[in-house]
Amino acid sequence: MIDRRAFFKAGGLSLVAVGAGSLSGGPLFLARTALAAAGPTGHQRRKVLVSIFQRGAMDGLMAVPPLEEEKLLKRYRPQLAMAGARSGGENRVLDLGNGFGLHPALGALEPLWKDSRLAIAHQVGSPDATRSHFDAQDYMETGTPGRKGTPSGWLNRVSGLLGHESTPFRSVSMTSALPRSLYGPEQALAISRLEDFKLRLPGADRVAAVAGEGFEALYEEASQELLRETGADTFDAVKVLSDLDLRNYRPAAGVSYPSSPLGTALRQIALLIKSDVGLEVAFTESGGWDTHVQQGTTNGSFNRRARDLADSIAAFWRDLGQHQDEVVLTTMTEFGRTVKQNGSGGTDHGHGSCLFVLGNKVRGGEVHGGIEGLDQDLLYEGRDLPVSVDFRSVFSELAGAHLGVPTGQELFPGWQGSSIPLFQRA
Amino acid sequence: MSIARTAQLWTLVLVCAVSIAAPGWGAEAKLPWAAAGLTERQAAAHLLDRFAYGPRPGEIDRVVDKGLETWLEEQLQGRVDDSEFLARVAMLDIWSMSSEEILKTFPSPPRVRREAQQAGVLSADAPPPGPPPEGQSAPSAERREQSRKLQEFSREKGYRNQRELLGQLMAHKLFQAVYSQRQLEAVLTDFWFNHFNVSMTDNQSRVHLLAYERDAIRPGVLGSFHELLVETAAHPAMLTYLDNAQSTAKEGVRTTAEMKMAELGQPRGNGRRGLGSRPGGMQRPQQNNRPRGLNENFARELMELHTLGVDGGYTQEDVIEVARAFTGWSVLPQGPQGARARQQMERMQAMGMVGFTIRDAFIFRADAHDAEPKKVLGRKLPAGRGIEDGLEVLELLASRPETAGHLSHKLAVRFVSDEPPATLEKRLTEAYLSSGGNISVVLRSLAYAPEFWADDARRQKIKSPFEVAVSAVRALGAEVTDPGDLVEWVSRMGEPLYAYQAPTGYPDRADAWVNTGSLLTRMNFGLNLATGRVLGVEHDLAALNRNREPASLEDALATYAALLMPERDLEATLERLQPMVSDPEALNRLTEAAPDEGADTPAPRRRYGQLRTPQMEADNEMMAEMRAGGPDAQQAQRRMRRRMREMSALEPPSPLENIVGVILGSPEFQRQ
Repeated sequence: MIDRRAFFKAGGLSLVAVGAGSLSGGPLFLARTALAAAGPTGHQRRKVLVSIFQRGAMDGLMAVPPLEEEKLLKRYRPQLAMAGARSGGENRVLDLGNGFGLHPALGALEPLWKDSRLAIAHQVGSPDATRSHFDAQDYMETGTPGRKGTPSGWLNRVSGLLGHESTPFRSVSMTSALPRSLYGPEQALAISRLEDFKLRLPGADRVAAVAGEGFEALYEEASQELLRETGADTFDAVKVLSDLDLRNYRPAAGVSYPSSPLGTALRQIALLIKSDVGLEVAFTESGGWDTHVQQGTTNGSFNRRARDLADSIAAFWRDLGQHQDEVVLTTMTEFGRTVKQNGSGGTDHGHGSCLFVLGNKVRGGEVHGGIEGLDQDLLYEGRDLPVSVDFRSVFSELAGAHLGVPTGQELFPGWQGSSIPLFQRA
Repeated sequence: MSIARTAQLWTLVLVCAVSIAAPGWGAEAKLPWAAAGLTERQAAAHLLDRFAYGPRPGEIDRVVDKGLETWLEEQLQGRVDDSEFLARVAMLDIWSMSSEEILKTFPSPPRVRREAQQAGVLSADAPPPGPPPEGQSAPSAERREQSRKLQEFSREKGYRNQRELLGQLMAHKLFQAVYSQRQLEAVLTDFWFNHFNVSMTDNQSRVHLLAYERDAIRPGVLGSFHELLVETAAHPAMLTYLDNAQSTAKEGVRTTAEMKMAELGQPRGNGRRGLGSRPGGMQRPQQNNRPRGLNENFARELMELHTLGVDGGYTQEDVIEVARAFTGWSVLPQGPQGARARQQMERMQAMGMVGFTIRDAFIFRADAHDAEPKKVLGRKLPAGRGIEDGLEVLELLASRPETAGHLSHKLAVRFVSDEPPATLEKRLTEAYLSSGGNISVVLRSLAYAPEFWADDARRQKIKSPFEVAVSAVRALGAEVTDPGDLVEWVSRMGEPLYAYQAPTGYPDRADAWVNTGSLLTRMNFGLNLATGRVLGVEHDLAALNRNREPASLEDALATYAALLMPERDLEATLERLQPMVSDPEALNRLTEAAPDEGADTPAPRRRYGQLRTPQMEADNEMMAEMRAGGPDAQQAQRRMRRRMREMSALEPPSPLENIVGVILGSPEFQRQ
């Protein structure tokens, strides 16, 4: 066995310049995985799934409205309906070319759509009709609608099904607390700032470094196995991140992320992907979608959230550069909103919504699922967009077609449905 | 009369048959530590690690002087003077409010907003709370005005912020664990809360949490399990969290009220959902305009988590039958609508009508209760009954051997090891069954079991983040003046208090607590605590060693390691830390360390954990807006400035502090 301490004393890690692939002599947790064995060139990089939870329930009809229903929409939601793509005027939606529009604040996604990398699934949601944010998020994150006691989250189960050994950075949530999606037996790291992943002593970081040597010596010899092994991984991970020089890290040329929490989170996820530290399942979230009041069209709360979402995703994608092939990004939201506007210029809790899936192998430029119509009798309980695509049929496609994990009962216990084909099959 | 009392009378309970003649206990019985090769002091340390939150300075001596058996007995009977703790929590005023008063004082922000709109203080289309529009750093004049109005409205109404409620709940938990002399009660309050978990991430349950711990959990943690079960099942926190509040008889099924009405010759329909069609009543009208029907969530978790366990021999049929038995167990709506419903309920209750029951915010609604016969685990529940259905199910579940086994396993995991020996679980199961489910009898049997003292049980538990924080504060003999920062550290180490979203509660196993992120945070916690960087916690390392100055750093290391981890084998720890105190280069850096140029300044922290639900975020944002420009905002700013000042004025840590930090963050200190 390698003497870890001697190794680190001899000058630390030689690898992990951002984007460079050399892994020889790397941290043990990487060496343990097949990732390292493949060597510097031509090794098969692991796939990465990036999930963004839009908390609060996004209005799918405002994000991706059916253009043929313009008249009905005007009647249901006079203050919220927007003019079709072909009409004149400023307050217009973008034309996706297949009967659907795209809210102009999501415009940064349009090139990805045209490029056939971005797919949309519409009328997505849960078979459980709850209109409680808490319940619906819980059900979506566990992947077991109607059951609260499921101990693990679906992304944690995905991690467990990957079929190879875990690394400290395999499942990362860029949030301060672990999301329900990642509850469970597989290791997952919840962290809002990568810079925080080190020994920190405000005003005295040099002293912390001395203490760090003490800790390392202690954990190296800890008689308790779990503490010893996790300790080793921890010090490896700290060194990996410190070598990345996080403070001076810059995204790819010409890429500028919004300074929002979502932009910051995606920037850090991109960094982890490019640094090749073994990330496979990434999670983050975007808040503020609960637009009960003054939802607005091109100037309200929806517009602000949508612009942040699209600009952050577009920046992330450009930043990835050559790593795009490894990555699929998906959005999700707990339910949709009422088709009719309410008394305060907003919408209330509904049922079906839509989501975006981005990736080079994605059957992009298509709306999967789709909307049959907005006549009253086609609506769920006469008021909401119905659910025609169970969210699990999207999630299981992401897990199966992209990450290559088995998508049976182990992933979604009690579910008999099947994936929808969002990916090109070879 | 409490629900539990009702239950006892109704079932003529088994609980009075508690046997105090548990195996191994009697005036002359000795705890079997000697047979495990321990000294009395080692035994006291082990006892304090498991039946308390670790030893405080000098505590091992006190336990040995008192006698281990006597100490344990005092803890089991909860008969210890606790005035020091009570004096400390006297300032937490919400703890002395009635549950009704709490509900009145802490309305949810959306409700405050609605009321303000109804009162015409706020216009119906006032912009929603949230971050300021893009490109603007400050809220607009309009928003500030709105916040001011809302704040004024709240003040006039006597409303307070729910964050205060949660803050006091967490502060109390911390004070209790650090200072209460009834240590076992503190340990068990944590254990049983986690067993009957309810989460503040649920915005309906949040306001009930303090009363839930205070009224439903804590009084019963050493008593009868059956009583705990009844109190938790009937508490609004649980009823909202697991949705039973909205579970009603299926459409077309006869309700108890209908049946009784029919007996009285009233037409059908009069007894159906007489309080309007909004059971639970706490949601927006537009979310709840249809009958709900049966909700199985509580029934399932009642059996899977609270009693029988996942392999407890029940079927999906049983889940449905139990759900039917609990239809009508609900929560009084809040606000004016609730007041009307309360009057109506009280009138009906006074008239002895159709079995309506009300206690605080718990209501039993005969007009929502499925009156048809049911069959649970083979037991037949006859038609036409009301609240008795649910009560009988609880009594049945509490008395099942599967429940005894499930609880024995969980207690053994908590108190002994992650993989407890089967012989121990069997012993505990027998104690449970022979005592009618008396918790203190089970725990006494655990303490007198050889397995508790065995070599493979000692130091085998990895402390939870809360245990790390509390045991460190206790070991240092530190003074907690403001628990906010400490609570925040517990959260960062991976245990945000009262915020575990799933009804399973936190898994009580080492591998659930130990991962790279949390381990690093544990080390950081040790360092920051020892060097005075956890705000609101003060300690005096010199006083800890009775102001005797160690002769050298080597001496300091040995002395303080022994003080902080008494009665442990510290040879390996000391040996590994030798270079730190003897290597001249390391010493140099330790002693001459000046504050770094441009060192990281701590990011501003939110107090009391990070809350993630959108509703909570909206709540927070709204409350933040409500405060904007008001006296609270100024106060918050002052507090922040003070914190920043405190941080920047910190002395560089002394070598001793640094050593103590490493001891507290060491692998040995993570174990108990």
